[in-house]
Amino acid sequence: MERTEALLIADLCEGDETALAPLVEKYKRMVYRLAMQITKNHTDADDVMQETFIKVYRSIRTFRKDAAFETWLYRIAVNEALNFVKRRERRRESALEAAAESEYEVATRHQAQIASDPHVHAEKAELRHYVTKAVNSLSLKHRTVVILHEFEGLTHAEIASILNCSEGTVRSRLHYARKKLRTLLKPYVDASHI
Amino acid sequence: MRSKCDKIERLLSDYIDGTLSERQTADVALHLRSCRSCKQEIVNLKKTNHLLENFYVEPEASDAYYARFTTQLQQRIEQSAPTAFHQRFHAALTRLGWHLLTQVHRRIDRSRLIGFLSIRRHAFSYYVFALTMTMLVAAPLLLHQISPHDNGEHLIGRLYTAAKTRIFSANSPVSVQPTATLAIKQDNTVAQSMGIRRNVSSERTTETPAVDSGSDVWEFTNEPITDGYIFTTLRKNNSEAVPSVALDIDSELLAYAELPAHGAFRTGLTSRDVLTENRYALLLLKGIEAGQHGLQEYERKWNEFKGFSEKLLDVPLETLSVPEVYDSKEL
Repeated sequence: MERTEALLIADLCEGDETALAPLVEKYKRMVYRLAMQITKNHTDADDVMQETFIKVYRSIRTFRKDAAFETWLYRIAVNEALNFVKRRERRRESALEAAAESEYEVATRHQAQIASDPHVHAEKAELRHYVTKAVNSLSLKHRTVVILHEFEGLTHAEIASILNCSEGTVRSRLHYARKKLRTLLKPYVDASHI
Repeated sequence: MRSKCDKIERLLSDYIDGTLSERQTADVALHLRSCRSCKQEIVNLKKTNHLLENFYVEPEASDAYYARFTTQLQQRIEQSAPTAFHQRFHAALTRLGWHLLTQVHRRIDRSRLIGFLSIRRHAFSYYVFALTMTMLVAAPLLLHQISPHDNGEHLIGRLYTAAKTRIFSANSPVSVQPTATLAIKQDNTVAQSMGIRRNVSSERTTETPAVDSGSDVWEFTNEPITDGYIFTTLRKNNSEAVPSVALDIDSELLAYAELPAHGAFRTGLTSRDVLTENRYALLLLKGIEAGQHGLQEYERKWNEFKGFSEKLLDVPLETLSVPEVYDSKEL
C-alpha cells in the first residue's frame, strides 16, 4: 500500500530510512530545478541536491508537523543553494567562468530542443535563449525571488518565510527584478503582442 | 504629476499580482486611466511576464542522472547510519532476530502452535524466559544506564527513581546549571568580530536571537585552541533553561559538550536547524541532576571531551551532525 506523505514523514522521524526514497522521488525534480536555477551549474546543483536531502533525513525531527513539508523543503534547498553560491564566490572562483558555463548549458539545452523538435520556429528558439539568459543574468537575490514567484508559483508570504525576510522585501526585489528584465528584454517586449 | 507616477510605479508589480489592498488597487486603476506613461509601463510589465511564462526554459536533468543521484544518496545515508561498532552490532542483531522470527512463524504448523505455547508442558522454558526478561529490565537500572525522562510517572521511571535513591542516598543531589562548551572554527580574517557574529538565545526560534555576547545573562570565556579556532564556554546564570545557540554559517561548530557548573555526565551533539541563509541553530542538551557518582563520571567524560575536541578539528562538519561520531572516535 502506498504511504501518504504525512505517513512517510512520520516513519522517517521514527528512523525508517525507506521512507526517504518516495519523498526523494516526489521532490527530486523540484529540488534540482531550484538548485540549478540558483547555482547555474550542474555540478553544484548536484551537491545542493545531496545536501538538501541529507539535511531532510537528519533534521526531519525538527520539522513542525503543522507546517507544509514542501515549504520546509523549499527553505532547505534554497538556503543550501544560496550558501553554495556564496561559498563559491568566497573561494573566488571565476564568476565569468561560471557565467560562461551557464550560458553554455543554456545554449546546449536550447540547441538540443531545436534538434529534438525541428518544427520549433527559429524566432521562438531565439526568444527562449534570450529570456532564459536574461533571468540568469539577474543578481542572486533578484533571481531567487523571480524563480520562486514566477516559476515555482509561491506567494510573497511563502517566499518571505523561505528567505527569512519581510514580505515588503520580497515585493521590492520582485519589482526591481521585473524592471531589470523588462529592460533586458526590451526589443522583445516592444515587438510582442498580448 | 511625476511624483505621483513614481509612487504608482512602485505599486505596478503588486497591481499585476493582485496583491494590493482594495484602496491601493482603486488608486492605481484611477491613475492608469489618466496617465499614458504608467499605462504603457504596465503593458510592458505584463508583456515581460508573458515572455517569462512562455519562453523561459526550466532546467531539467535526464532520468539517468536522477537514477544515479538516488543511488549515491542512498549510499551516503547508509554511510552516515550508526557508525559505532555496538550500534552496527545491535542493528544487525535486530535484523537477524526479525528474520529468525519470520522463519519460525512460517515453519510452525498452526495446529501444533497451541501445544508449543502450553505453559503446563513447557514450564521450565517459561521460567527461563521470565528470568531473562527480568534481568534485562533490572540490569540497566542497577547499572545506571536508563535515564528516566518521565520522572516516575511510569513503571520504569519509578523503578529508576527508587534505584537512584538507594545508590545515591549518601549524597544529596546537585542542581546543574545548563552550560555548553563549543569549539568554533572562525575565519582568521573575521576573528576580531567574534562577539558580533555569535549570538545566543534562550529558546530556539526563527527570530534573530536577541541576546548577544554583551548580555549579562550569558557568560562567555574564550580559549584559543589553535589558529582560527576558539574554544568558547557559554554559561547561563541562575537558570535551568535549555541553552540554544545560533551561529553564523561561517562559524563551523566543531564539537560541543555540556559543561554544567556543578557536574553532570552527559555529552553529545544535537541536530542543526537552518534559521536563515546565514544562520543555523543548535539545541543543546539540558543539564540533569546528579549525585557524587555523577560528578565523578562527569569529570571523567569532560577530560575525554577535551581530548577529542581537538582531534575533531579536521572532521567534516557534516559528520559532526551524527551523534554516533562521538562513540566511534577513539580518545
